Amino acid sequence: MTDEGLRFVAMALAIGLGAIGPGAGIGVVFSGALQAMGRNPEAEGMLRTYMFLGFALAEVPFILSLVFGLLIGFSII
Amino acid sequence: MRIRNAVLVALAIGAVMYFGLGLVFPREDLHISVKAEALVCIGGEMGYPGECKSGFPITNSLVTTVIVDLLLILMIVFGARNAQMVPRGFQNFVELVVGTFYDFAVGVDKKNVAKFFPFAATAFLLIILSNFIGLMPGAGSIGMCQPYAKAAAEGGEAEHHAANYYAERGWPLTCEPGELLVPFLRAPSADLNMTLALGLISVVLIQYFGLKALGWEYLVRFFNFREGPMFTVIGFIELISEVIRIVSFAFRLFGNIFAGEVVLVVLAHLFPYMLPLPFYAFEVFVAAMQAVIFSVLTLVFMSMATQAHGGHDDAEHGAAAH
Repeated sequence: MTDEGLRFVAMALAIGLGAIGPGAGIGVVFSGALQAMGRNPEAEGMLRTYMFLGFALAEVPFILSLVFGLLIGFSII
Repeated sequence: MRIRNAVLVALAIGAVMYFGLGLVFPREDLHISVKAEALVCIGGEMGYPGECKSGFPITNSLVTTVIVDLLLILMIVFGARNAQMVPRGFQNFVELVVGTFYDFAVGVDKKNVAKFFPFAATAFLLIILSNFIGLMPGAGSIGMCQPYAKAAAEGGEAEHHAANYYAERGWPLTCEPGELLVPFLRAPSADLNMTLALGLISVVLIQYFGLKALGWEYLVRFFNFREGPMFTVIGFIELISEVIRIVSFAFRLFGNIFAGEVVLVVLAHLFPYMLPLPFYAFEVFVAAMQAVIFSVLTLVFMSMATQAHGGHDDAEHGAAAH
């Protein structure tokens, strides 16, 4: 396998494997928030704030893997 | 049974269109550019298509950004001119958009909403409009042809054959062989420069509001040497996460919008006539969702930055009690 081909495989692996955890994590965040909103609709405003906060935190690993995937794929590192 | 028939009919129509129209309209090679392509180079000359050898590049995403800016300014000017107590016509629409988002912002932080709202609403309107313009038919598909220097250099026999093939069936809508299409319009959020700028502005404003609300006490959350080594480490992590916020703001928007465009282009290349439709609808949803996420995250981070550091607050209360 050529060096360039290996780079593309590495990029695909980085992005694909990095998407597993955040995908599950974001699902957990939103399901928890929806359940809480269903049980206590009064707290929806506050819950929405923390829901988006949790979403942002859970998505960081995927964004890092995306960045590193692009860095590898375009042979910057 | 009826559903099955409908699906079969749709598939048949799709197949007929695929083979029938495929004869009329030749398809171009797939070409995806991660960065925005330059249309004009001010004071320089073009090199590889979409790149400037020298000079200041005017990229297609810059053109779209200017169009979006003009649209927004016109919208607000016409909506807010002769503002009446009882809104009529276009003022209704502008009030609806701004008012809906204002109610949303009040839900995030009621106390400081007047300070945070201007930037968050501006970012929201800018991002949602630019995403929608990037999805408009014609954006990304209408452009000018620039010579593809690399292909001419490497072009072997196969390339030459393909060139003749397309030249014979030439439709004015396709580029000459050996040339690449550089679109006039490209979604601004599909350009990393734009999203990085938005992320930088957002994070700098977050620090500004934090410093303004708490004074130098704001920095205690990053450099906390008073409450033991544990909090020092946490402060260090907070400092890193502040930097990562820039990256995550920039790449979340860029990744979502650019990936959406790539999906649409690839699907349109594989099967041009019906398959991209549901994905197009999904991309419209994503375009609106990303604008909401960007502005709400900005609001949430700003609201968190203006709240006093939790552990420190307790320590202050303890000191007061003593």
